[in-house]
This record gives sequence, C-alpha cells and structure tokens, in this order.
Amino acid sequence: MRNKIKVFRAMHDLTQDNLAQVIGVNRQTILAIEKGKYVPSLDLAFRIARHFGVPIEEIFTYEAEEKTQDIQ
Amino acid sequence: MKKNIFYIIVGCIAIALVALFWYSDLLMMPPFMIAVTFVVAVLAIYLIRRKVIDLKEDERDVKITEQAVLRTMQVFWVVFFAFSIGAVMHLLRSPSFPPGIPMGPPPGPSELLSPRMIGFVQLGLLCLMIFLYVGFRIYYAGIYGDWETDEE
Repeated sequence: MRNKIKVFRAMHDLTQDNLAQVIGVNRQTILAIEKGKYVPSLDLAFRIARHFGVPIEEIFTYEAEEKTQDIQ
Repeated sequence: MKKNIFYIIVGCIAIALVALFWYSDLLMMPPFMIAVTFVVAVLAIYLIRRKVIDLKEDERDVKITEQAVLRTMQVFWVVFFAFSIGAVMHLLRSPSFPPGIPMGPPPGPSELLSPRMIGFVQLGLLCLMIFLYVGFRIYYAGIYGDWETDEE
C-alpha cells in the first residue's frame, strides 16, 4: 500500500504531530504509515482522507492493483 | 503520572508477584491467597494505568500488542505443556511406548524431577513468558515502524 500523506501534509503545511493530533493517533503511527511500515485500518484511512478533503484513493494506492495494470 | 513512572511501577509489581509466588511455600500461603494477590495486582495496574496522562494507545499499538501476545502465547503454551506433560509422564513412568519396551522403576518420587522441582520450573517458565512478551513486543514494534527515524 502506497500513500501520499507526506505530500498532502506538505500541501496543508502540517507536521506529523499536527496531523496525528487531529486524527487522534500517535505521531509515530503517522511516521510508520508514511514509511510504509504500517498499513492503516479502513477507519483510519478514511479519517485521514476526510481530513484532507479528498477521496481515499487519492491518498492510498493499492500496490497489487498497479502491478496487475502494469502486466496488462 | 508519566508513562515511564507507570512502567517502573508495573515492573515493581511484577517482581513483587514473582517473589511472592517463589516464596509462597515458605510463607505457607494457601493457593487461594496467591490467586487473590494476582487479581489484586492486575486491578492495581489497571487503576494506576488510568492515572497516566501521556499514554495514548492507537490502533498500531493495539496491533503490536495483539501480535506480541499471540506469539508469546503460542510459544509459551507449547513449551509449558510439553514440559508439564513430560514431567507428569516422567513422574508416573507410564504409559510405556512402544509396548514391549521395559518400563522404568515403579512410580515414586523422582530424583531428577520432583513435584517441587516441576513447580519451580513451571514458575520459571511463567517468568520467562514476561521476557518473551517484552522481546516479541520490541520485535513487532520494529516491524511496525517504532524505530523509524524522524525527518522533522
């Protein structure tokens, strides 16, 4: 699962700590998601997307889907 | 209360419990009292935890805990039951398998594994479970990005 949280954070001028506080998680969780070490639950993914005001698929991309498209 | 103080208190309670279990026969404590002590300790930890102000647990922490507990229990139960069943078999010297092989000496007190020693080893395994849990927790914390360096 890839994500563009870092990009959206930069666009909204938010630090990891700011975003974590708004979403209601630890800053380390945001860092882990950005680094691809942790895949968030649907609930958390929706909360992040809703905070940035974009559809969830704009922030999170499923890698296996991309690979399938590449093969096709 | 800060979470580091909470962890120190939990460590002290755990050490006190282990010591209490270890010396329970010297203190002539009935098994019922040991069980009550354990429940009181768990309750105390729960109540103290509610006083911690900087301990925020999110879904990643829950996931780490889940994985650590699952692996700890998987390893612990296998080792614990293997030892316990093996110890009972050793004490009773039965059944003989495969049939036909002469059985050992008749049932009685064993020199190698006395019931008392079995209890101590089981207690030791219980104590080891704590370290096993801490080890698995550190391992899964690393997997789920706890040690990632901060760029900000």
